[in-house]
Amino acid sequence: MNPKTRRPVQVLGISGSPHQEGNTEQLLDRFLEGAADAGGVTEKIILSTLTYSSCQGCNACHKTGVCIMKDDLIPILTRKVPEADIVALASPIYSMSITSELKAFIDRAHTIWAQKFKLNLVHYEKEHFATHPGYFLATAGMERPDIFDYAYPIITAFFNGFGCGYTPDHNITAPGMDRWGNIKGHPTALTFAYTAGKEAVRQLEKERAKEPEK
Amino acid sequence: MSVNVLAFATSQRRHGNSETLLDALLEAMAAEEGVTIEKYSLDEIVIEPCRGCNACEELNRCINDDDDLNWVLERIIEADIVVMASPVYCMGMCAQAKALVDRMQVLRSRKYVLHLPIAPAERQDKRLGAFLSTAGQDWDYVFDALIPSVKCFFHLADIKNRDISYLMVNNVDNMGALAAHPTATADAAVLGKQMIADIKARLAEGDRKGGEEGDKMEAGDKTEDAEGTEQQREKTA
Repeated sequence: MNPKTRRPVQVLGISGSPHQEGNTEQLLDRFLEGAADAGGVTEKIILSTLTYSSCQGCNACHKTGVCIMKDDLIPILTRKVPEADIVALASPIYSMSITSELKAFIDRAHTIWAQKFKLNLVHYEKEHFATHPGYFLATAGMERPDIFDYAYPIITAFFNGFGCGYTPDHNITAPGMDRWGNIKGHPTALTFAYTAGKEAVRQLEKERAKEPEK
Repeated sequence: MSVNVLAFATSQRRHGNSETLLDALLEAMAAEEGVTIEKYSLDEIVIEPCRGCNACEELNRCINDDDDLNWVLERIIEADIVVMASPVYCMGMCAQAKALVDRMQVLRSRKYVLHLPIAPAERQDKRLGAFLSTAGQDWDYVFDALIPSVKCFFHLADIKNRDISYLMVNNVDNMGALAAHPTATADAAVLGKQMIADIKARLAEGDRKGGEEGDKMEAGDKTEDAEGTEQQREKTA
């Protein structure tokens, strides 16, 4: 609960997996369950059910701060993500990176980047990052130690644009799906995701309690 | 001697910086004798994201017949030189390029699940790849995070790491920035000319040695596989 607005913590989960109810989405579900059990209000968006195009690279947003496209991503990028308190992106690792569905979504957030860096329309104070954490949930078939490393810079770019605090402890990763068969066979991933979701909301409540009354 | 070059311009901004860089390379290649160039922009052909259904593990082709992927894959295998150009968006290749890389899963299934060859044995080591990229940011590490995906693409196209050339130009953002860059188009022309000379030398070598070469390559392929397995496409969800 936000002490000022009396609004419960809003948690937005976005899945970039083409598999509905597959390993990645189960991991995200557990994160959202944990968040809900800690008092958060959760919403899940499954990108593969939406209709949208990838970024056309037209750079119109560099001048206007507005995307020329009109599709399902617009309300998510302009309303849902900025209004959420906690945002969790989820993707399996395909070919050493995130899926093209999630990549297309992140590429479209270029408008937000332009608002901030090209037009100086938006500025986030340090507190904004502390009170708007971003999380990344990912699964991978392999267990090589760098399997998630090449996704992190992309996720960082996304969260920076929205003023979300994204730190290495906000990565919830489950490698070795080839070995474990599926996410349910993984010894720790689902429990870890649930705890992380719960803690995300609790930590945010604590952070907000610190905020001075204005 | 004829050389088939297959190129993908993946950016949705037509004739932007990455495509201009690609065109400079292709123009230099086309000026050489016997070179046939086939270039596709991913806004002319349709490559949808991978559905991750793994049907290719049984079908040996993609179950999605609604787009151009299946014939494009066969063209990739037939080509002597495969070139991909992508801009950097948000520290990665653009989403369209990533969709093509992800759909190479069909070839992963062909090689590692069905244990079928991708390029025929006699064409091993006789194919080259190039990855061209442009980025608006001036950071020198701006390309780092996309290289592993590029390696996945060429690995599944049966083009070895040592046979991939890279030309990546940062600090070019606005339309026309690449053309105004002091060295980029000249570098692309040099690379294009060099690659055609290299591939011609390799193809000529194959004609001289004949069958003996094939046996040697098979042995060499096994060492590459150990490294290649690491790079194979990951999928779980």
